[in-house]
Amino acid sequence: MVRFFSTKISIAVFAFPALIAFTVFVIYPLIPEVVISFQKHNGFRSDGFVGLANYYEVLSSKSFGKSGLNTLIVVLMSTVLALPLSLALALLLGSQGQGTRRLFKAFGMFPAILSVTVIAQMWLAIYEPEWGLLNSVFKAIGLEDWGREWLTDRGTVIYSIAVAFLWQYIGLNTLLFYTGLKSIPQTYYEAALIDGAGPVKSAIRITIPLMQDVIKFVLVISILGSMGMFAHVEVMTRGGPGYWSRTIVYELYYRAFMSSDFGAGSAVAVLFVIGCLVVTLLLNRFVARERLEF
Amino acid sequence: MRKYAKRGLLAGAVFSALWLSACGNDGNNASGNDGAKPGESSSSPTGQAEQTQTEPAKGTEQSAEKVKLKLITISSDESRQAIMNDYIKPNLAKDLPNIEVEFEETADVAAKMKIYNASGDLPDVFWSGSDYAPAIINANNQLDLKPYITKDGYIDNFNVKEALEYRGGIYALTSGADTYFNPRIFYHKDIFAKNNIAVPTTFDELVDACKKLAAAGIQPISTPGKGGWSPAFFLIQSMIQVEDPAVMQDLVANKTDFANPVVKNALDRVATLAKAGAFGKGAANLDYGPAKELFTQNKAAMYMMMSWELPDLEKNVPDLDYFLWPKASDKFDPAGVVQYWGTPLAGYAVSAKSEHLEEAVKLAEFLNKQDALYFNSTGAKVNFKVPESAPAAPLQQKNLDDYNKTALKIPTLFFNMDPKTAAEYNNAGSLLMTGDYSADEFIQDFNETWHSNTFFN
Repeated sequence: MVRFFSTKISIAVFAFPALIAFTVFVIYPLIPEVVISFQKHNGFRSDGFVGLANYYEVLSSKSFGKSGLNTLIVVLMSTVLALPLSLALALLLGSQGQGTRRLFKAFGMFPAILSVTVIAQMWLAIYEPEWGLLNSVFKAIGLEDWGREWLTDRGTVIYSIAVAFLWQYIGLNTLLFYTGLKSIPQTYYEAALIDGAGPVKSAIRITIPLMQDVIKFVLVISILGSMGMFAHVEVMTRGGPGYWSRTIVYELYYRAFMSSDFGAGSAVAVLFVIGCLVVTLLLNRFVARERLEF
Repeated sequence: MRKYAKRGLLAGAVFSALWLSACGNDGNNASGNDGAKPGESSSSPTGQAEQTQTEPAKGTEQSAEKVKLKLITISSDESRQAIMNDYIKPNLAKDLPNIEVEFEETADVAAKMKIYNASGDLPDVFWSGSDYAPAIINANNQLDLKPYITKDGYIDNFNVKEALEYRGGIYALTSGADTYFNPRIFYHKDIFAKNNIAVPTTFDELVDACKKLAAAGIQPISTPGKGGWSPAFFLIQSMIQVEDPAVMQDLVANKTDFANPVVKNALDRVATLAKAGAFGKGAANLDYGPAKELFTQNKAAMYMMMSWELPDLEKNVPDLDYFLWPKASDKFDPAGVVQYWGTPLAGYAVSAKSEHLEEAVKLAEFLNKQDALYFNSTGAKVNFKVPESAPAAPLQQKNLDDYNKTALKIPTLFFNMDPKTAAEYNNAGSLLMTGDYSADEFIQDFNETWHSNTFFN
């Protein structure tokens, strides 16, 4: 029986439905996307093949460069700021009492399950330049000069949206880290304590290495999630003013659905898929390590 | 064991085959109407006659059943919502008892239409916009309604039938109220009086008034800047007209471009107002609704907006008045020039691929009539014969009189742009509202797009 199920034929048969589903829902939609990226297409009909013209137009446009830069900023903020913050919160949570942990589990998840529209509207109110919470707080503590038109200033708009985006998922990431933390046997910490290791040393030498699978998982979903940021941009600024707050996915939407240029939109989509593949490969190359058994 | 494994493999293969066949179903049998094949109900006047001849019994059966139609319509402002809630929904069952409508309301019909078009499942009836309708018409997906409304006599309800025509056909039914919409500068008379501000007659006086109001802690002007709404629809055009209406006429006719010095001056004027803080903080991200609220709640002294908001404003803002666009040169006579909104492509359209064309046309006719009844009830003038015109409120009558007095009526530039040009125009317009974007940058970023505008091709 075991021998039969390990034959190539049986593996192929059992993998067949999943393979079909993957082909239908993932591979198949990519094919027309690639074809359209070489066409002049207005969303309603194709006016023929134009070679690499769409790619040239997209790659030479100011808006694509800006959206690429904005996406990079969001990814960097997610990995350099939000991820360590989530990990630190998880470590802090681990040292708290049962009541605090329960409270955080309840409220930490709350933003993640709320609709993006609700979150975006809340942050719109926070950033409102006349009566918004942020500028009002600055005013109240005598730092009125720090106040900005957060969502219309070219220097702050993408950072402001990114904060709203990352805030929504920080609680979720913290809980994922916390779950990983709980899977580490307590005896390791007891042994470290006997050897004279403090909380920081324990975190660096025990917690982080033993949580590498969770860290990798959170890193992958954070990077890919940040690369795909769209809804927050749509609700908060519609990519504006102008193209100042567009991300790559918003650029795709703008070109296909607002400009009715499905050819260029598909070119952005193809470039985005290639970008995602490269990032995934890099993550697998540099983050993947042999699994530690404990 | 081997026998069971083989059976398992066989069952897996059968399951996969069934699943694939289910995926291959194009959905024709699951449309949820009556199981009829496309065209059995009514594919065209001729098609239906042929079908009635070949399958008369089935045709009779169907006429007794309700026909299900999908409708996507616009819900961008309070007027549109009032039409839907106070006119369309209450009257539908009474006027069209054999039609059941699946409603979908959205502020962005264009995006939805593209998605539906891409999925090959266009709604039977939809709100047509001048920015995306040409593409649907070119793809032969938007029905020429002319033969249908001529045949059933509906066309006789229109005072000016030519106003409906686009390239010799009629692709959308419009009440014609659009033609009478024009941009105005509404203002609070008491705020002006309290701050000793006279109604500006020149652009410089407008800037001075804005500075005075800002110094008094009052937001001078409210207008939606998010997505470049006001600049694209009327602000830039008005600023061109106030200096030289002839240049605006040339631009609308594609005889000049945005590098024209008069156009550049107009862009500078928008940037000047933005830099002076005339539009308030964060104006480039201000949505339509909040912009109106700023004015109706007396937080802004002026409101730059199209006159379709006038009925609602007149009802809710006690000290309301409007003034004509202040001139920037003697070439402009404020009482002699006006921008009008109307376009024959903005109205209710029918999908040429609908399986129930005749019923869909009837629904479009019904919807257009409800539009006309609503606008008539507000005192607005329409191009559709309605039983009795409601008397216009004083300010609406003044607006209508001012409109009728103008010798030169210039169409809206935005409607002469293909979707790509229109989208870029919106972008550049919203950037102007930031005060951090110059007229030169606008011209550099947009003029090339204007030259590749395919609308005039």
